[in-house]
Amino acid sequence: MKFDLVIAGVGGQGNILASQVVAKCAMDAGYNVVNTETKGAAQRGGSVLSHVRIADGEIFSPLVPAGQADVLLGFEPLEALRYIGLLSKKGTFIINTAPVPTILANMKVDEYPSTEQIVAIIKDKGLAGHFLNATRAAKELGNVLLTNVVMLGALTAVSNVLSPDVILKKLLTMVDEKFHADDSRAFAVGRGLIGKEG
Amino acid sequence: MQKEFMLGNEAIARAAAESGVKVVAGYPGTPATEIVDLCGGYPGVYAEWSTNEKHAFEVATAASLTNQRSMAVMKHNGTNAATDFLMHVNFTGIRAGMVLITADDPGGLSSQCEEDTRILVHNYAHLPMFDPSSVQEAYAMTKAAFELSEKTELVFALRPVMRINHAGGMVEYGAAAPQSRPAEFVIDRKRFVMSAVVEKESGGELRPKMRHRWLNAKQDELRALMEASPFNRAEKAPGEVGFIGCGIGYAFLKEAERIHGAKLPILKLSTLPLPEGKVLDFVSGLKKVVVFEEVEPVVEKLIKELCFEHKVVLEVLGRSGYLPKEGELSTNLVLTAVEAALAGKPYPATVQGQYVSARTRTQCSGCSHRGLLVALKEVVRKNGGVVTGDIGCHDAGTFEPMNLQATIYCMGSSIPMAYGIKKAGFDKPVYALIGDSTFFHNGLTGLASAIYNGGDITVVIAYNSTTAMTGFQPHPGSANNLNQPVTPIDPGAVAAAMGAKVFRCNPYNVEETARVIGEATAETGVKVVIAEALCYLKFGREGKISFTPRQVAVDEAVCNGCGLCVRTFGCPAISLADNKAAIEPSGCNGCGVCVSVCKRGAIK
Ligand code: SF4
Ligand code: SF4
Ligand code: SF4
Repeated sequence: MKFDLVIAGVGGQGNILASQVVAKCAMDAGYNVVNTETKGAAQRGGSVLSHVRIADGEIFSPLVPAGQADVLLGFEPLEALRYIGLLSKKGTFIINTAPVPTILANMKVDEYPSTEQIVAIIKDKGLAGHFLNATRAAKELGNVLLTNVVMLGALTAVSNVLSPDVILKKLLTMVDEKFHADDSRAFAVGRGLIGKEG
Repeated sequence: MQKEFMLGNEAIARAAAESGVKVVAGYPGTPATEIVDLCGGYPGVYAEWSTNEKHAFEVATAASLTNQRSMAVMKHNGTNAATDFLMHVNFTGIRAGMVLITADDPGGLSSQCEEDTRILVHNYAHLPMFDPSSVQEAYAMTKAAFELSEKTELVFALRPVMRINHAGGMVEYGAAAPQSRPAEFVIDRKRFVMSAVVEKESGGELRPKMRHRWLNAKQDELRALMEASPFNRAEKAPGEVGFIGCGIGYAFLKEAERIHGAKLPILKLSTLPLPEGKVLDFVSGLKKVVVFEEVEPVVEKLIKELCFEHKVVLEVLGRSGYLPKEGELSTNLVLTAVEAALAGKPYPATVQGQYVSARTRTQCSGCSHRGLLVALKEVVRKNGGVVTGDIGCHDAGTFEPMNLQATIYCMGSSIPMAYGIKKAGFDKPVYALIGDSTFFHNGLTGLASAIYNGGDITVVIAYNSTTAMTGFQPHPGSANNLNQPVTPIDPGAVAAAMGAKVFRCNPYNVEETARVIGEATAETGVKVVIAEALCYLKFGREGKISFTPRQVAVDEAVCNGCGLCVRTFGCPAISLADNKAAIEPSGCNGCGVCVSVCKRGAIK
């Protein structure tokens, strides 16, 4: 068994928490786990990529090699595009379509591609997966910070390496009790989004 | 033996504590930073943030001379700052086991440069080094380094790369067993006084030459140790092309081997000096070997030398030409090279990737540096001045959209470079922009040099009371050290004592800051402007801020969409939509700096 997950997003979106939840569950299940993050300095808003590698045997590189990821979770569409090359031809992507514009794009010195363009480029690569608006779902639940939990819920609908109950339970142990109800709802909503996206 | 998931830096700290380390000193630098803090958490360990890496190295060495195990922690360019000491401690040797952590950042992912400290520490200073290939190995090597250092009386270095320091994995570890040993300082001037003294016993030779001879003689002992080391080993497989993985290069090679799908002849090399017997044994019968190492062809060249001496003829490929000479290795790079080498082909030319809109680094929204940068920019826009830059969060002021500082080199360069520009005859004002931690690191001597040599510059010290960029470590200008509250050393008082004219302002107040910088500019000599405001990200969480928060919004009736607030300023909370500026309330902390940026008064 091997399961390689990459989570691409922007600083502040909570992808490190999401990757830790998955890593911890895998450890509890007795798997070998290796992970790492690539991110900029203390400042927010930079590109953040988390690698989680799970296997029942030895794992050498902390980085998921290009074309080897079983699942790419894109918390942000441009970041998903940046790292789409990591996804295996047989893998699955789940991409949140809500953009976080770059500073350079805000300044008009750079162009942020439209969601249609990003979707087209990714579809062109012949990869399979799901586009969904996790940010909107999180906002509807009352808190945009739930985006990562929605995405985590969605992950459990495409991969059965770890059971949804286990992942949710682990997540709840890692956040303050006052968020438990919201997180549980966001998780369920995320799971439900898979297959229903249009 | 217990097993736990740990980051590389946690594993290194854990191993040091288990080895009975007593004194740990460092200066923050990605990717090594966390090690010092983590060591400080073990009972009985004294850890500190020294003002720079040279001083950290000196503190740790002194502890070793006092019979206590010690460790100095730094990133690669920090080791450059410590090189002067390195080139002496190699000659004297040490007493209790001592480890130098010199973390490299291949690819310069979080650094001003990409370099390979193996050249500095091994090729240049002739000290032994370990290059870990995994988090578990970083743990094991740290422990071994303490033992072997004590045995050989030499500093042992561990050279983890970013992908080790910041990677997590399962680590089997033992119990922390602090050794209690007496703190004795035995005077031995023949060893620990490095000076051109005549040595009677050696027929009148000078001491530096004698100690050099001692260090050279040590190399045989080290080679024998490395020959026997479990960190170097061969994995046999049929074939005429062999592959050598050094440090993290071995991890990528093993990953590539798995994807390639067939066993390859592999030699894992993780020590310097090389285990020469193992290398010669591995290459015998091979026609070609490819060496994978971060970043320079260090091992590759040593192997070529070794083969030449032993009249072994084979092709040795690697970073000196076959593989890309710059940047990080990866599994895919290694796999490509393995397949090309097996097919007898050159490494394929790298195709340039398609550009995906970058996310540049900038200051946090509400950071005081942005007010300072915009004020200084206003001043130089009017007087044609030049700003030399330094390391820290403010260095993002060199990027779009701020485009302010004209140079950035290394810690403390801003001040000497600023007055150098003036000495060359540049007739407009010159400003050095430096942070507080950097000022104490290597700015003090530059300032003394500027004053002593009659420089005519304005030094602007961004005094935010923390080493923000590496994650908020305290420094001499902070109200605490790693262990306890202290009285901060005010950089303004220091500068004044040196003889500089000192000015003060709050950078959140852009007009005041521009005015004060202007007043300083009008004076002659070396002027120092202390722009004092707490780092928002660190101290804001603690409820301490240096501005009065206000609600800001764009008055759409006044805004003409000129874009100045976006194109020249770059607070992440401000964007342009439908030809009007818009402030995203969730991203804005109400620092009010942008109000001064809009010349039409549309931001209120
Ligand atoms: S961490 Fe502090 S100094 Fe650095 S950009 Fe953020 S607020 Fe500014
Ligand atoms: S707010 Fe002021 S600076 Fe910004 S676009 Fe409008 S008019 Fe220009
Ligand atoms: S939008 Fe203005 S007030 Fe808000 S954080 Fe940015 S600069 Fe400060």
